[in-house]
Amino acid sequence: MDFLKERFPEAQFETHVNGDTEVLVPAERYEEAVRACYDAGFTYCSCVTAIDWQDRLTLVTSLARINPEEVGVPNLHIKVDLPRQGARIWSIANLYPGANWHERETYDMYGIRFDGHPNHRRILLPDNWQGGHPLLKDFTDRRPKRPRLVRHRFAE
Amino acid sequence: MERTQELLVNMGPQHPSTHGVLRLMVKLDGEQVTWCEPDIGYLHRCFEKLSEQKTYPQVIPFTDRTDYLAALLNEMCYVEAVEKLFGDAIVVPERAQYIRVMMAELQRITSHLLALGSMAMDLGAVTPFLYCWRDREKIYSLFERITGGRMLYNYLRIGGVRNDLPEGIIGTPQDGEDKADKTIWGFINYFDAYVYPQWKELVTGNRIFQYRTQKIGVLTAEQAIAYAASGAVLRGSGVKWDLRKNLPYSIYDRLEFDIPVGKNGDCFDRWWVRQEEMFQSSRIVKQCLAWLAENPGPVMAKVPRVLKPPKGEIYHRIEGARGEVACYVVSDGGTNPYKVKWRSPAFTHLQLMPLLCPGHKVADIIAILGSIDVVLGEVDR
Repeated sequence: MDFLKERFPEAQFETHVNGDTEVLVPAERYEEAVRACYDAGFTYCSCVTAIDWQDRLTLVTSLARINPEEVGVPNLHIKVDLPRQGARIWSIANLYPGANWHERETYDMYGIRFDGHPNHRRILLPDNWQGGHPLLKDFTDRRPKRPRLVRHRFAE
Repeated sequence: MERTQELLVNMGPQHPSTHGVLRLMVKLDGEQVTWCEPDIGYLHRCFEKLSEQKTYPQVIPFTDRTDYLAALLNEMCYVEAVEKLFGDAIVVPERAQYIRVMMAELQRITSHLLALGSMAMDLGAVTPFLYCWRDREKIYSLFERITGGRMLYNYLRIGGVRNDLPEGIIGTPQDGEDKADKTIWGFINYFDAYVYPQWKELVTGNRIFQYRTQKIGVLTAEQAIAYAASGAVLRGSGVKWDLRKNLPYSIYDRLEFDIPVGKNGDCFDRWWVRQEEMFQSSRIVKQCLAWLAENPGPVMAKVPRVLKPPKGEIYHRIEGARGEVACYVVSDGGTNPYKVKWRSPAFTHLQLMPLLCPGHKVADIIAILGSIDVVLGEVDR
């Protein structure tokens, strides 16, 4: 991942157990980092998700390189720290059309807004869902309790 | 008043050919589709939220229920991810690895059989569907003897598998079709001799079927990569990419098999890739059986009673039945996973519907949906 190390000398790099590289970049340089990876051949967006660390959110974008001749190319995870309230980030859905629904899911579950997303709506939960973003750690279900079903009594 | 206008049609959520509860909103101009948008979430069961409240082994049954037609492959993804989190602390015995791979490939055959059978049925051919059911049944009765479950197994454990293969289930390479539901060799021989040629003749060579699927829903290789397609959808478009070869996990680097690749990226090629993949799976199963018959041994590693992986995170990808199944596990050092994210291929593949459908007829939507083979349990998790 030398092309990223040259460009982001001060960013934190870490290697996972299976050889994947993760890099933590500042939010304002996220677009630059993704575009650099795209130009380096990482044109396959495997997954977009987030982690709730309770004091901050971390957006994780997993990119892969699809080249049939290469064996064992590890994934690249670009991480961005975002505030828990009102998080916004540039959307990669126009660069990677496959990230479209993953970003919608991340918005649905964590409340991160993606600027420039072509169809910014909830995806798994209903459009009129008012209960918040369920995968946040402090999520509580505020819906009224459902009444217990009363067992039907047959006439004696 | 007479006028012409586009017609908005809802296919689903109860439409029989949408494989579960999928709603497709379709705009029609006569018979032509001009716009298509899937609406999902009807089967959302909070898998990721639930697994944050369970211990590591307790998550395994949930992974079964994401893609319920290829449950063992999902278990394999999650279990291997957690084992990798432990690093060198858990060394899975070789025999367990071979059992896992053999079971996974048998599961791939069942999953592909159903994918092919249901696609043929949606296109109007009911007979292949019944054949697919008959042949799947044989594998399921084998699975029942090995794991105790027919559909949802909870068989893989962190560190190995729950139990060794029962006595006599491997059989001998001479087992014929009469033992197809009694020994694994019997099934594989039956598969090679009857099932695989039968599918080729009955459906793939069928003129009507070819007219319905060829040049329908063409996906180019560039589009497939941009839309993050994987599995048969990606290979049908001509990209020779299989995680079993390109990112070998478990023992796949020791096994010999080919990767079938399509040419045009239409529905027929995706179908053809699945059919050939079943044959490759049967090759893998044979190699595993030969190894398993000669090498007895333990099937479970020594694992601590309470599993507490060290702090860290892992994104483990395997080649599932429908494509790239990936599991993102974050550990904070406790007994429960801090986060589990399930990257399911069917969820990603459904994004292709708005791309592939416009310009085709209504009936072709069914062919396209059948050829990308979605399982709604996996889409909604």
